[in-house]
Amino acid sequence: MSVQIEQKSYAMPPCDGFTITLFITVADINRSADFYEKVFGGRILSRGDSKGASGHIQIANTWLIVNVGGGPTPDKPTVTLSVLADPDRISSFMNIRVADIHACYKLWKSRGAEFITAPIPKYGEIRCYIRDPDGYIIEVGQSTELTYG
Amino acid sequence: MNQVQVEQKSYQMPPREGISIAHFLTVANIERSARYYEKVFGARILSLGDGNAPAYLQLANIWMILNVGGGPTPDKPTVTLSVPDPNHINSFMNFRVADIQACYELWKNRGAEFITAPIPKYGEIRCYIRDPDGYIIEVGQSTDLTYG
Repeated sequence: MSVQIEQKSYAMPPCDGFTITLFITVADINRSADFYEKVFGGRILSRGDSKGASGHIQIANTWLIVNVGGGPTPDKPTVTLSVLADPDRISSFMNIRVADIHACYKLWKSRGAEFITAPIPKYGEIRCYIRDPDGYIIEVGQSTELTYG
Repeated sequence: MNQVQVEQKSYQMPPREGISIAHFLTVANIERSARYYEKVFGARILSLGDGNAPAYLQLANIWMILNVGGGPTPDKPTVTLSVPDPNHINSFMNFRVADIQACYELWKNRGAEFITAPIPKYGEIRCYIRDPDGYIIEVGQSTDLTYG
């Protein structure tokens, strides 16, 4: 599995340089892996194990790493990982830029995605949001006049 | 220029077909964050926004979208976006690296604030960076896991 940008190739795990993934704390690794596979066509590479390994899902140009929450570790002694305490207070999220938002809306809804609203035009794009099984928002957006997105 | 290929499929931003995945961060200062990701990790700044639009960066195999927080919008009427509580984290960018000692030294030299030096743990060697808004970025090199 590798990704190429211009002349540089990205692999997981990387052969050189670095490859960016998104880690999401989830309540149930299997449930999340199944959701990202079913709705978006992600490829489940691993479902983790009982010793604490994360689930890995390859999706489009990146990889999702999912695991349950937990307390501080020696390499982050003040940080606790948990699912969203409040699904309405968000700092960061996966943003899926699409070529045809109405087609994605219909397809992903038919596969079980819960959209907050249908696509709505806003600020040079058409946009809507999905809630994943843990309440994370996923932006789905199609640019109509912006250059980069 | 703004194109990624996975196996036989290629990804662009904006996508001509299918989807391309970006990561959105709520930040306190768009330019400060964009310059940070440019300086430390070599991100390419595609746009710094214009006061209304977010900044777009291309970094390794993904794109980053940076914007300030804000209240509900018609398409997410109950959701408020804000910078994180730095000690209660739900999700984060996870940089998988080939040579963690080299990345640690290079990125630290460029101004990254590491919480600790790399520490062996669960089949990998791992450490974390705090970005300017307090987001954690995991930096990890697998030593015996298959997928990471």
